[in-house]
Amino acid sequence: MEPTSQPPTKMDDTFLRHKIREYAKQQRHNLRTNANDALRFGLGQIKQEICELENLSVKDVQGMAGRIKRRKHATTEDMYRFSHAFLQGNENINAFAATPGAIQVIVKELTGPNEMRRMEAADCLCNLSLGEAHVCEKITTLAGSYLVTFLHSQESRLVRSCLWTLANILFSCNKSAKNLLQMQLVTKLWKLYTAPTDDVHAYQVDAGVCLYLIAAQVASAVSSEDRLYIAEHLQEKQATDPAADYYMFIVYQFEVVNMELEGHWQHLYNFFVAERKFDLVKPTDRLSLLYGVRVWANILAMNVKIKIEHQPFISTLNKLFGLRDEGLNKELLQLLRNFIELSSVNCVQILERIQVFA
Amino acid sequence: MPVVYRKPTERPSPELLPFKKQGVLADLEVAQEVENTTLNPRYRCHQCHRLLPTAHLLDLHIEEQHDVYFEAAKERGDKPMYSCYIEECPDKFRTVVERKDHCISAHKFPNNYRFDQEKRKQKEADGMEVDVDVQVTNVKAFTFSNSKQRTFNTRGVKDPLSNVQTIKDALDEIE
Repeated sequence: MEPTSQPPTKMDDTFLRHKIREYAKQQRHNLRTNANDALRFGLGQIKQEICELENLSVKDVQGMAGRIKRRKHATTEDMYRFSHAFLQGNENINAFAATPGAIQVIVKELTGPNEMRRMEAADCLCNLSLGEAHVCEKITTLAGSYLVTFLHSQESRLVRSCLWTLANILFSCNKSAKNLLQMQLVTKLWKLYTAPTDDVHAYQVDAGVCLYLIAAQVASAVSSEDRLYIAEHLQEKQATDPAADYYMFIVYQFEVVNMELEGHWQHLYNFFVAERKFDLVKPTDRLSLLYGVRVWANILAMNVKIKIEHQPFISTLNKLFGLRDEGLNKELLQLLRNFIELSSVNCVQILERIQVFA
Repeated sequence: MPVVYRKPTERPSPELLPFKKQGVLADLEVAQEVENTTLNPRYRCHQCHRLLPTAHLLDLHIEEQHDVYFEAAKERGDKPMYSCYIEECPDKFRTVVERKDHCISAHKFPNNYRFDQEKRKQKEADGMEVDVDVQVTNVKAFTFSNSKQRTFNTRGVKDPLSNVQTIKDALDEIE
């Protein structure tokens, strides 16, 4: 197909929508997800998944960007096409980002009164955030405050798109991540992460991923107020809640354990020994266990006074040693070492019952 | 092996969860149908019908635009009244300009934040001047004749034609 500045015809677009709908239906059926879910694609992946798609070139993107800029308005069709074009390749993203004033039009739609266009603009920005750091920086400057504001919205689709966009930005650009932290992103994410689950407003996993990315990349830039907020609200997450696998990593990276607060060590202990499945099938299982042990080793190193019930503690340690994972065993031995130093506990009785496998 | 308190590190190793950036392509008509069936409350001001994206911004709007107590307290000026646009921020300010400066410097907000309450007020102030209703004071009724009965006295009667009994009485008097 020869690249043109004219947008493709309505006919093509209907076909694309039909195709996407069919694909989504199939995926929902396969994954048994609810109808609120959307299709997620990596950069360029859409070409492999749906081969009937038309190709949107850099010229197409530039033409459309110029048009929305002139009109100071982007229609539903425009934003759908942009979303599609950005998924196809980084060159389309760069072409759009290089058009002065084009992102502002999308931001205008994002903050406008039309709900449908607001969601489409959010999707558009989500796909734009697949770009490199300089593109993510532009999005943060122009739309970061709105993305953060909309986390409190009642439109679940909009909240989810904002979370996906924020995750992409946090991953790509540390400078943007630090700017987003100044918008009190951590406390907002923690609220979503610990919110009670219901069918529509289930953001725990997406919020958990964003917190994970902050903890992994810019943990030192998290303010003491944000850390204190998390320490005060640690009890709001239980081991059986969705996305609880990220919990211990976030606690460890944000150094919440060295804050002296009423009852938060006890909650961490209860979380650690809670009855649940101990395995290393998924990467998140490993994350949860490894950092759970590390957090506990740190608490014991601080020699704090907490009530350790022998039976669940021994049982948890035995289950973890039973996994026979080299990295995990190293962390467990450090935990035991710190435990032996505890003055308040008769550790001989406990150590006798611990089974360490070679 | 000594007792060790381990400090967190940037880019912790091993990297346990390789994150992959993902975009989205959704059929929003389907999403909209789902949204509509869930009966989400929208944050709309009952007085001026302005739609706001979050409960906090709607609270600020109602307080700052329609609350008489807020207006009075603001004029008294004894304490800062304007809350930050970020719900989690505890700071309060005496003027909207102070709040705007705070949001830009502390929270990296854009200069033209679209949910700015003052912006709308300013817009209204910039608008074309419109004549306001002028209260017409009661003009003393007069007549050109020498008749004792000068005319109908309309003082104190809002709309004499609206009261049928008054008209009947007046007609009886003429007869």
